[in-house]
This record gives sequence, structure tokens and C-alpha cells, in this order.
Amino acid sequence: MTDQVSKNSRSARKRQPVSLVSWFAQNTLKGMARRKALLGYIFVAPTILGVTVFVAGPVLFSIALSFYAWNVFQPAKNVGVENYIRMAADSRVLVGFFNSAKFAAIAIGLQIALGLGLALALRTKMTSWMRTYFRTAFFLPFLLSGVATGLVFSYMLNSDFGVVNYYLSLLGFAPIRFLNSSEAALNSVILAYMWQALGFSMIGMLGGLSNVSPDILDAATVDGATGWNWLWHIILPLLSPTIFFMAVVGVISALQIFDQPYAMTRGGPGDASRTMVMSLYEAAFKNMELGYAASISVILFIVIMAVTSVQFISGKKWVFYQ
Amino acid sequence: MTNSNLSRREFLALSATVGASALAACSAPTPAPAPASAPVLPTKADVTLRVQGDEKNEAPILPSFQSKFPHIKLEFVSVTGIDHEEVASKILTMIAAGETLDFGYSATEALQVYAGMGLSQPLDEWVKRDSTEMADFFSEVHPSLVQAMMYEGSLYELPFDFNAANMYINTKLFKDNGIEFPSADWTKDDFVSAARKISKPGDAGKQVYGFGWTNRLWGSWMPWIFANGGNLFEQEEAPGGEWLWGTYYKNDPMAKGRGGGYRWINPVANSPAVVEALQLVVDLYKEGVTPGMVLGGGSELQGLLGDNHLGMTPGGGFWAGGLGNAGFPKGSFDVQLWPKWKNQTHQFGTGGQWMVAASKHKDEVWEYSKHRISKDGMQTWFDTNGIVTTPARRPMLNATAFAKTGPEHWQVFYDTLDKHPETAPIPCPPISNPMTTLFTNYTGQAMDFKLTPQAAMDSLQKELVDLVARSKDVMYPKK
Repeated sequence: MTDQVSKNSRSARKRQPVSLVSWFAQNTLKGMARRKALLGYIFVAPTILGVTVFVAGPVLFSIALSFYAWNVFQPAKNVGVENYIRMAADSRVLVGFFNSAKFAAIAIGLQIALGLGLALALRTKMTSWMRTYFRTAFFLPFLLSGVATGLVFSYMLNSDFGVVNYYLSLLGFAPIRFLNSSEAALNSVILAYMWQALGFSMIGMLGGLSNVSPDILDAATVDGATGWNWLWHIILPLLSPTIFFMAVVGVISALQIFDQPYAMTRGGPGDASRTMVMSLYEAAFKNMELGYAASISVILFIVIMAVTSVQFISGKKWVFYQ
Repeated sequence: MTNSNLSRREFLALSATVGASALAACSAPTPAPAPASAPVLPTKADVTLRVQGDEKNEAPILPSFQSKFPHIKLEFVSVTGIDHEEVASKILTMIAAGETLDFGYSATEALQVYAGMGLSQPLDEWVKRDSTEMADFFSEVHPSLVQAMMYEGSLYELPFDFNAANMYINTKLFKDNGIEFPSADWTKDDFVSAARKISKPGDAGKQVYGFGWTNRLWGSWMPWIFANGGNLFEQEEAPGGEWLWGTYYKNDPMAKGRGGGYRWINPVANSPAVVEALQLVVDLYKEGVTPGMVLGGGSELQGLLGDNHLGMTPGGGFWAGGLGNAGFPKGSFDVQLWPKWKNQTHQFGTGGQWMVAASKHKDEVWEYSKHRISKDGMQTWFDTNGIVTTPARRPMLNATAFAKTGPEHWQVFYDTLDKHPETAPIPCPPISNPMTTLFTNYTGQAMDFKLTPQAAMDSLQKELVDLVARSKDVMYPKK
């Protein structure tokens, strides 16, 4: 009998509804733990909400949109994978992908090499004001907008009346069609990008070099490391985390390049300097083909993810942390 | 941590409502809300119209408008772009993003873009209602300009200005090379001969070119296509429009047989006339008669012409004001009709104000549009801003208007319409934006010698056919 009463009492207690407030307010260790956990979640909630609304939401929306044909002003039509099929056969978009990859490979390779060269040059003996001057001079272009840089370079590189061809003609060279020739257009855009982005790379390398322990450099000197050996066996391994960072950030940024080529060549002549994002922009905002633009953005996202993953995987073999 | 604590799963469950609501909005695309207008306010005094335009340019006609309609205020939204299609892209994006707008300015390039998407409002009911004022306006405006503002039988804009592609001429370079100013019926061969004489190779910055053009839709090598009897699309007459022609142009022989606007449905970009026209400009470039292709609206060419580095270039009335404002004196340039090839058909573009279909203040928008094209309104506008474009009202093109800037042969501007009634607008179907991109793209490939003119135009033709096929929703749905 007593057992029966006790069982009934326990089941009644189990069934008794507990309000959410009292669940948190219980003056027990569990209640305290719940309150502590809730506080933590409240603190991270704005970030989670922000990421959900402004990052995850648009990403999911873009993925969903890529299966629709939609010009914003008329109802969307589900077209299945038609946008992706069209993209696979769209030579203009494919050229954009190829150009972006070429742009990223050349620009980032040069940016890292020249940035390192400049950083090493600035470590040589010079007065403090000279070092400050050169650091500032090389870094200032990074603060300019890509469009402004592109416009200035488009005037300077004008094939007929540009200042660069003027000086080349003084040296006896024939004018170069920097922006009007499909062979030179993308390289001209890379040149403008490099001029602007080099300062960032240089500052990053200087920061990396300043973190290298002087003891290691002294030891290398004592051991007779000079010139190429010193650079290849000492400096590059020690700078590998910085180089890795520059490569990852640089490639992500370069694959999304839009402003300089748009301002300088509009992707031309023909499609010679067209990039992935230019195709995306054109589809979305000039042609109002939002679904097609979304499918390009999804592929761009996958490409960047894949390239970054490869960088991280390969980085395990050549990045050394002190 | 035991099960009774607030686990991540429980937290996510608690926040699911918020997350689901946010994502639900993203799950399936729906049409954007129609571009809204400023809210209707109870008293007339509080109406504010949001207008896409340049406040500085409109300032001269605002006082007279607001003396008549003190309850209407205007709030300007400035939208800039290198060319018309870029402005149209920005406006479409603004509207898609929910930006409110009551009316704006658009040229031929965008008229059918907006109308095809149902964004713009036909003006027929107001044009019919205010027939007296409209009769005065139409009596001074060439019917070609009006027809170019029609879409599927309805009028969408009142022409405020227009620009036909005529030939601007550097008078000094002509004189220095012993070339007579051409007659109105000069030919393509006369042009080539003059361009070759003017061209002088030299070091960078010192060259002189006979002819230059920008890679765009209006005024690029398109005038050669028209003069050679070609077009990018077959130009068709849309049905309708009798209500307008029968009311306002019944005694005008130039209005006979006109329909309710133009349709450009079937691409003919690789027709022999188009290929031959492209071959001409490619050959001139190979010969060194033209400089490297220029992008944009033509300001660079204005500089070259004014600085005696360029002999000839396509331009409309807007060049007179542009060159004048840039400091090039009267007499340093002049203008002539485009040379005759197989015919002397010119191309033109016209512009005016379009009413947003979703505007809640359509009557107020109409009043401003009407004020802007009124005799007083237009005269004040041009007196203050100068001839930065060609007025649509014929009598406003007079010696006084061009007294400060020139050109000497300013009559050419309206003669292009009056003496060549076959002159037609640049082809601008509702797919005008992507069409322009394709046109400039393949032009670039031909000028870079990557493709022969024939191959470039074959590729363009194929892409235009594909574009038309996948754009049926906006391409003349009434047909």
C-alpha cells in the first residue's frame, strides 16, 4: 500500500507541469547551471541571429534561387538545374572563371614575391625616416578604392594618348595596346591590382619578419648562411605562416575581383579580361537574371571553398609554426 | 552537464521560431513588392514626389512649377552611369530593392526595358485628357520621336530631347588638310578619303586620327549599319497608336502609316549590311585612321576632337554643349549629316520622363512632366543649362540657341528627322541591356582582330537568338 502511494506520488510529480520560468528559477545546482547556460546563449544570440539572417539566410536563399528563373518583377519559375546546364555551356562565364583563376595565380604569386622582396629591402640599413617614407609610400595605394585606381590606370595605359606609351615612345618602343588587346588587357589589370595590393603584402611580410627571433637569424649567420641559402632555408620557412595567410586571403580576394577590370576594360576587349564576378554582376544587375546569377555565385562559392581547402591541406606540408 | 540543463539542442529548439521565420522568407523567391511611392498624405500641400534626376539641372524650372502647384514638392534621387544601360541597371536594382520612386528620366535605351517589365505607366489617359496643351506640344515635335516613345500602342514618355548621330567635324584639321566642308549629301567614300587625309601617325600623344567612336549602342559604328541599310533586328511597327496620330498628327504627312511604337523581335545581326559596316570600321582601325576603341559616353573623344587630335566623330546636339562647356570655341567644330552609303538613314535616341506604374501620385507626376515639356518650361531649362542635348521642340533649335557654342550648321540636327523621315531609333527592345552588352562584346572581339567581322556577327546573331528565346516574358507579350 505504501509502495503504491509512493509510486502514485512520483508519477503525479512527473506529470506536474513545470513553467519555463520556474524551470530556470529552481534553487538547485541544476537550476543554477541552467541559468548560467542561458546567460551564455543570450550573449551569443545576437551573433547567431546576425549570422543566420545576414550570412546563412542569404547563402541558403542564393542556393534556392539558383534553381529558379526570376527577374524580380515577375513571379519566379522553378527551372530545376537549367541554370547550371546553361552555365556549363556559356563560354562567356567559363572564360570568366578561367580569367579569375589566372588572375589569382599571377597576382597573388607576384604579390607575395614582391611583397617579401620589399619587406626584405626595407630591413636593410637605412635611416628611420627613409624606412617610414617607403613603408608609407608603398602602403598608401592600398587605401584607395579599386575603381579610382582602375580609372587612373586606364588613362595612364591608354594606347594612343596614355603617359606610359608616351615614355615608351621616347625610348623608341612601339606603343602597346595595354587595354585594347586581348593579350595585354588582363595583364594590365593585374598590374593595376598589384600596384594597389602590394603595400598590404609588404606590411604583412614586415610583420612576419619582425616576429622572427633574432637569435635564429644570428645563429644562421654564425653558421654561414648567406644569400639564397639564407632566404630559402631560414627566412621562407620562418615566414611560412605569414605567406600562408597572404596566399589564403589573397586568393579569396582575387577570385572575387571586380572593380579594377570593370573600371579599366569592362571585361574587354571581348571577354579577354572578364572575371567571374563580372559575369555574376552582369547576369544579376544588367540582365536581371537573378536565378542565373545565383547559380554563378554558388559555383564561385564552391570554387573558393575548394581552392581554400586545397591551400589548407597543402599548408600542412609546408607551413612551419615556431 | 545533465539532460536537465539547457543543452545546445534545447536552445536551438527555443530559437527555432525566430530562425524559421527568417529562413522562411528566403525559401522561395517571390516577386518583389511593386515599387512603392511616398505615402499619400491627406492634404495637397504635403505631396512629395521622388524623382530620379539631377536637382541642379531641374532647378531652373522648379520655381515656375511650384508657383502653380505649391503643394507638390520634389525629392531628387541622383543616378549616374557611364551610359544609359548602366543607369537603367541601377534603377532596376533600386526598384527591386524597394526604393520608392514616382518618376524618372529615360532614353530610348530603357523605354522598352521598363515597359516590358510593367514598371512604367502609359500616359494615354492624361494625353487624351489635356488635349489642348498636348496639341501645342506635338505640333512642334517630329512624329519619329513620338513613335519611339510608344510601346505596344501606348505612349510612355513625352519626348523632351533627342540626339541623332551626325558627323562632328574638326574644322581646323579639315582646313589644314585642304578638305572642303562636306555637303549634306556626301558619301561614305568622301568620308573615308577625308579621314585618311587627316590621319597622321606619330609618337604617343601626338597622333592625329581621322575618325573615332566609342564602343556603345548609340553613335558607335551603329550609324554605319543604318547608312548601309542594316539593323541589329528587323524593325517592325507595333499595332495601335491611331488614337494619337489621328488626334495630333492628322495633317502631318510624316506621321502617315505610323504604328504604336517599334518592335525588334528577329535578330539580323549577321546580315551582309551589318557585317560590311563592321568591316569598314575594322579596316579603318587597321589602317591607323581610328584610335583604339574607347569605352563610355564619349567625353574622351570630345577632348581629342577639341584638341585637334581627331578629325571626325559621331555626335548629336549634346556635343555642342559638351564641347562648349569644355572650353572649345565656336567655330572649332561643326556638324554635318551622316554620309550616305546605300542610303542616308540616320539613327537617333530620344529621352523624356517616365512615370512609375506603382506611383500613388500619378496626377502630380503628370503635371510636372507636362510642365517640363511646356514651351516655357523647356525654354527656361535650355536657357539655363545650355544646349547639353537637343530639344525635341523644333522651333527651339534656332540661331539664338547655338549663338554661343555653334556649330554653324546646327540646322542639321532637326533636318536629320525632317529631311530623312526614314531615320529611326536605335534598336532597343525590352532586352536592350543584355543586347547592348553582347553588341559591345563582339564589337570588341572584331576590333581586337580575334574574330573576323563575319565571325563576330555570326556569334552575335546566335547569342541574340538565344537571348530572345529565353526572354519571352518581357518580349512583346501582347503579340
